[in-house]
Amino acid sequence: MSLAVDLAPRRPKGLRLRNPVLTASGCFGYGTEYGRLIDIQRLGAIVSKGTTPLPRKGNPMPRLVETPSGLINSIGLQNVGVEAVVREKAPIWARWQVPVIVNIAGTSVDEYATMAETLEGVPGVAGIEINVSSPNFAGAGMEFGRDAAMSAEVTAAVRSVTTLPVIVKLTPNVTDIVSIARAAVEAGADALTVANTLVGMAIDIRTRRPILPNVRGGVSGPAIKPVALYMVYQVAGAVDVPVIASGGIMTWQDALEFILAGALAVQIGTATFVRPTAALEVVDGLAAYLEREGIEAITELVGAARR
Amino acid sequence: MFEVRSEPLIATEELAPGVRALWLPARMGAVARAGQFVMVRCGWGTDPLLARPMSIYRATPDAVAILIKIVGRGTTWLGERRPGDVVEFFGPLGRPFDVEPGVRNLLLVAGGIGIAPLVLLSDQAIARGCSVTMLIGALRSADLYPSHRLPPQVEVAVATNDGSAGHRGLVTDLLPEYLGWADAVYACGPRPMYETMAGFFRRNPTQKSVQIAWEESMGCGTGVCLGCVVATRRGYERGCVEGPVFELRDVAL
Repeated sequence: MSLAVDLAPRRPKGLRLRNPVLTASGCFGYGTEYGRLIDIQRLGAIVSKGTTPLPRKGNPMPRLVETPSGLINSIGLQNVGVEAVVREKAPIWARWQVPVIVNIAGTSVDEYATMAETLEGVPGVAGIEINVSSPNFAGAGMEFGRDAAMSAEVTAAVRSVTTLPVIVKLTPNVTDIVSIARAAVEAGADALTVANTLVGMAIDIRTRRPILPNVRGGVSGPAIKPVALYMVYQVAGAVDVPVIASGGIMTWQDALEFILAGALAVQIGTATFVRPTAALEVVDGLAAYLEREGIEAITELVGAARR
Repeated sequence: MFEVRSEPLIATEELAPGVRALWLPARMGAVARAGQFVMVRCGWGTDPLLARPMSIYRATPDAVAILIKIVGRGTTWLGERRPGDVVEFFGPLGRPFDVEPGVRNLLLVAGGIGIAPLVLLSDQAIARGCSVTMLIGALRSADLYPSHRLPPQVEVAVATNDGSAGHRGLVTDLLPEYLGWADAVYACGPRPMYETMAGFFRRNPTQKSVQIAWEESMGCGTGVCLGCVVATRRGYERGCVEGPVFELRDVAL
């Protein structure tokens, strides 16, 4: 029985994970925070907090709004910056079994490329996830992700300066995610993450004002699961690289739905806030399912709902 | 000693109208320190979705208690739990109050439900042989935490907004009278209480440690979501990791 997957079969060394369960960017810090609390080495991979060229202070409070079965966040990419990631975080990651993928967010093509160059050859960095889809970045991050040509340009620029596996994290806030997915793959993406948060807002009826100072934020959690599921279904049918599903996955059953829709792997985000062991429970749940069903490899189930 | 658990409640206690203590079986009780909190889920489905941070109010080697005030959906659900009902929680989390070795006389300032971590602090300080005075504030006498629940050695002074018990006015009005005696001050209450304290200490600077437990809704409780940051003189810091206990002078109020 095998849960192993390769997220970058196009790369010479691939990006082989012991299981298809990753933690989503922004929902697991740098891994070190939960490393003190749970057995993170059992995860498939960790995706770091969104990283920018320079440290960012982030948005004013409040930054979170709880909504029915969901969560709106407007953190504003508060992070330590890529230099500190290389200097302070990567040496810790280099001692871990679990691979760590660095999520990068820039305001220009050059910024993405420069960050990728900085990360090249750094022990402890197993891959790059290009964030062209943060709804909370005043820069052009979201705009890149909304445009197929721009997404392709950023992807190609990163691809040209790195030997690391390159994953592009798409935004769901578009009319046709498939065309953007195709453009990213043609530009050299080894895998796609589908998808980031949906843009949304909440209003305080007492003050009659938006709750978030930035008005809008990114909606995550089980509320968006059906939307993400259909996007994964669409994208997986249109591209020939691995799709990593992200969007409201709380349980192994949710994860299995996304795998059946065509995802090779899943990211666990908001569920970790609710229960720190959520991602580990998805690993265990998928393993038990394969065992029960007498299925040799999780890869046999990928896209089964499409056939 | 970090635990993620789903456990049947051991006991519940009604301590004031709408104020309840819930006892949870937990090994962390042996190591939990005053000011730390647990994240407690308030339902079994996905709505409400997030766990709520709850100060550890009392602890024994095999249990912790939280003190809830029923105000919203989450606490309403928790308030309906009875002994034997299962509740999911994880912890202990956060930076506790720091009682430095030289501190013998502790002045505790409790605003409303903010008394929760200060009860544990008084338990732990009395056990170490320290002297504790607790100033307890509430809107009216019916809302006051029953002081006979505190260790008998704790000296108590009370303030109510309507004057129905003790001093009529704010609990912070009592600060000047006890400050000279105290080696350090530990407070937990609503933000306006901290603003009043910040104003007082700007006018009356002190070298003593004045620690506050910052109350903020949280996403994860573990330092990753960055949804509970507090503006300090060092920049934004996480209410769940660098806090919830901060030096009052470090917080931008």
